[in-house]
Amino acid sequence: MNFFKRAWLNVWAKKGRSVLLILVSSAILMFVLAGLLIRSAAVKATDQAKADVGATVTLSANRQAAFKKMQSSSSSSSKSSRPKMTLTPVKLSDATKIAKLSNISSYNVTSSTSVNAKSYDTVSTSSGLSGGNSGGPGGMKSSTSTGDTQIDGVTSTSLATDFSSKQSKITKGRGITTADKNTNHVVIEKDLASQNNLTVGDTITVKEATGSKDKVKLKIVGIYKASSTSSSSAGPMSTDPANTMYTSYTLANTFKGSKYAGTADSVTFNVSNPAKVSSVKTAGKKLINTSKYALSTDDSSYQTVKASMSNVKSFANKIVWLVAIAGTIILALIVILMIRERRFEIGVLLSLGEARWKIVAQFFTEMLMVIVVAVAIAGAGGKFVGNQLGSQLVSQSATTTQTTSTTGQPGGSGTPGGSGMKGGNGGPGNMGQSTNTKAAKTELDVSVSAVNLAELGGFGLAITFLSIMIASGGILRLEPKKVLIS
Amino acid sequence: MLKTQGLGYWYQDKDQPLFQDINLEFEVGQSCAILGHSGTGKTTFLSLIAGLDKPKEGDILLDDRSLKKIGLTNYRRHDVSIVFQAYNLFTYMSPLNNLLTAMAITGAEHAGDKDFALKTLNDLGISADLATRNVQHLSGGQQQRVAIARTMACDAQLVVADEPTGNLDEDNTKEVIEQFQRIAHDRQKCVIIVTHEPDVADQCDHQYRLENKQFTKLA
Repeated sequence: MNFFKRAWLNVWAKKGRSVLLILVSSAILMFVLAGLLIRSAAVKATDQAKADVGATVTLSANRQAAFKKMQSSSSSSSKSSRPKMTLTPVKLSDATKIAKLSNISSYNVTSSTSVNAKSYDTVSTSSGLSGGNSGGPGGMKSSTSTGDTQIDGVTSTSLATDFSSKQSKITKGRGITTADKNTNHVVIEKDLASQNNLTVGDTITVKEATGSKDKVKLKIVGIYKASSTSSSSAGPMSTDPANTMYTSYTLANTFKGSKYAGTADSVTFNVSNPAKVSSVKTAGKKLINTSKYALSTDDSSYQTVKASMSNVKSFANKIVWLVAIAGTIILALIVILMIRERRFEIGVLLSLGEARWKIVAQFFTEMLMVIVVAVAIAGAGGKFVGNQLGSQLVSQSATTTQTTSTTGQPGGSGTPGGSGMKGGNGGPGNMGQSTNTKAAKTELDVSVSAVNLAELGGFGLAITFLSIMIASGGILRLEPKKVLIS
Repeated sequence: MLKTQGLGYWYQDKDQPLFQDINLEFEVGQSCAILGHSGTGKTTFLSLIAGLDKPKEGDILLDDRSLKKIGLTNYRRHDVSIVFQAYNLFTYMSPLNNLLTAMAITGAEHAGDKDFALKTLNDLGISADLATRNVQHLSGGQQQRVAIARTMACDAQLVVADEPTGNLDEDNTKEVIEQFQRIAHDRQKCVIIVTHEPDVADQCDHQYRLENKQFTKLA
């Protein structure tokens, strides 16, 4: 294959031109690679989001059905009696059945109430709004407690939204776990602890706000710190967030009264694969009495990340194709000019009886040599360009998606249950905060893999082939006599 | 060896041909000069017998085989070697690589033989040192000798040259013409040289003048 040798001799002899071609090709391929990297990173990030952000299905009282029931009873009763909405507490036996469904990775039982401080002083807020009902508009409270200390009963603090979204964290001791079931263990807020000189191992006394109004001793097993926005009782009629204590849901039920044993305000199930949320909800509905209970889903975190990554992926695709097309045109023009200045050489080759396809193959080989070096350079530089472009894209995309999310999704700020207005914990009302936090944290892991380099090589080859084919029209039509004799 | 039968050529108008009904015969072991003023069509005639263009009428036969049947590309590759006034070497190569490339394309007997190529160049006064430099570093006379060496290395039966001495001084002209004579006589090739210089033509075995659309044999 003599044309290989000719190609090599030409590339080597015309070093300046070859270097220039390598630089142009590298620039084109670097952007193609950046696009490819961002695209594959977006796919990876979407897959990762499935595993990371997850989705939840919440079992709670059917508020809508209860409201309808209240309306129908108010129309039939006399004007003097005020209608009352009754929410049926969730039965833990129903929750256990749903927990056995596939794709449920864990679940958290939530039962909230309030008690009155006995052996300690609560933290007072300057607004003077403490002492109200602890259930905010978005919460699921059915109890009518009026204590100054909010009790959030959970299965495990690590599964509670405030803790899983890192808005609250244990600073001393430990959180509530399943092992604390049927115990008087409690986790208190740092400000409350420091105000009363309390630490892990100490015992505090509270007085039940309803029923027998007994005094109950609680053992502090952990101290947590809540961020200023992280409050499960920050409603206008609630106590200071620092007065919220976490206990096992069994203890919270004890405070609420004996009829609440084996029940919960709500149960939040974590779904391992967000894509299966709908099927879990459908299967779960078959296990409960839907006139009393409702199953609500929240895969907004996943949807937010998915939408964000979808934008990035679409943009990356456009980059790849635009750069590839522009690159082909640019390279084709360069090759056309290059071939025009080599008409004489082509004429000599034709006069020697060289086949036209071999002359085209020589130019293709020359460009291939250039492209191989360009792919190597682009491989080294593409990661940098991809990182810069990717982080810019993600930040723009995440901002856009968050704006959409906060104005259009339940739980976002501005809707009941959003930040500053949240009431109960674990209900659908306070999911917006963690959604945005997680979406904002989504980053692209732009790294060059062998597959990316193979794809880039493919694009490089295609660009070279097309540009040579476009430019070769002249070679195929060239008459040696016209070149050599004139 | 090479015959033209009723050969004719025109550019636009058949009524104004460059030449018409040309019947010539060229034999191996002889050199032949074609003389004529500028614009008479001698270079066009050369392009036809070199297989660079097709005649408008008539035919060219090589050993009684029509070039139409042989195919122009095949004919150029195996049967004819061309030497141009402007040398037409590959400017990005050394003389040695110019010869090796031409030998590879034409499938010459010694294709790939570096020593043969160096000896051929050496026979024409191109030393081994000059043979490995870029051709652009050689003088005009040296470049023309490289072009002739390429012709010799390719081993074609027919050698055609278009004003091969056009860019050379007197000494180089003499030397180049001697080389063509050696190719014709020693290597038993058919050499056809197009020239407008009578001194060059005088050194060839036969002379034709193209005038008034016809060839006239002078000697």
